Amino acid sequence: MYRGREGQWAWMLHRLSGLAILAYLLIHVISISLFVFGERAYMAVHTTYELPIFSLGLIAVTAGVVYHSLNGLRIIVMDFTGRGVAYQRQMFYAVLGLTLLATAYTAFVVIGRLIGGEA
Amino acid sequence: MIRARTLTDARQQAHSNAELNWWIFMRISGLVLVFLILGHIYMTFIQVSESDATYIAVVNKLQNPAWKFYDWLILSLSMLHGVNGARYSIEDYVRSRPNRAWVKTIFYTISALIFTLGTIGLFSI
Repeated sequence: MYRGREGQWAWMLHRLSGLAILAYLLIHVISISLFVFGERAYMAVHTTYELPIFSLGLIAVTAGVVYHSLNGLRIIVMDFTGRGVAYQRQMFYAVLGLTLLATAYTAFVVIGRLIGGEA
Repeated sequence: MIRARTLTDARQQAHSNAELNWWIFMRISGLVLVFLILGHIYMTFIQVSESDATYIAVVNKLQNPAWKFYDWLILSLSMLHGVNGARYSIEDYVRSRPNRAWVKTIFYTISALIFTLGTIGLFSI
């Protein structure tokens, strides 16, 4: 079995988060586009999104996007600078750390709002 | 084939200019999307709450041509970036040639329809 250590995990997470974000994007475009059919069609779907479970889901979407963005920057650094590959492991841990930090901040804001009774 | 890790690798491995251009496109669009999408998430999810995205709010926001352009840029760049990324996955995991053709045809059709719906939506206001 191939064991590429950090590089392999970074690549796997990049691919998985990418596919997950694409799935979210397609659904997001459809439901936002509902406003062309008028206020009732839009709000019928949108009021469901005010359930707390969807806000929690958006924290996961944010986490996926932040990871994919930062790891994408790591890939760009590896591809276009001579010394990038030498530091790919350190950069992977930096990506993970920053993703956790951003997700914690998002969760703090959003969960605080949910507890305060706001959707 | 091992996926290219540097521009030189990509240039040597590319069967056609198209494949090399997609490789470069993924990096350039990715760099632009980092700012566009993190900004979008911050402004519409973290700064304001989910229940603020009412029909009126969406229509009001999109009356400004700058936001219309911002959103359309996200829509088109992320569609191209995402669909091309999914194409890499399909080519890696769908091993049979006829199945691959079907999966791609259906996937491209659905994506094109959703892109069209999104574009019509944006410019109908």
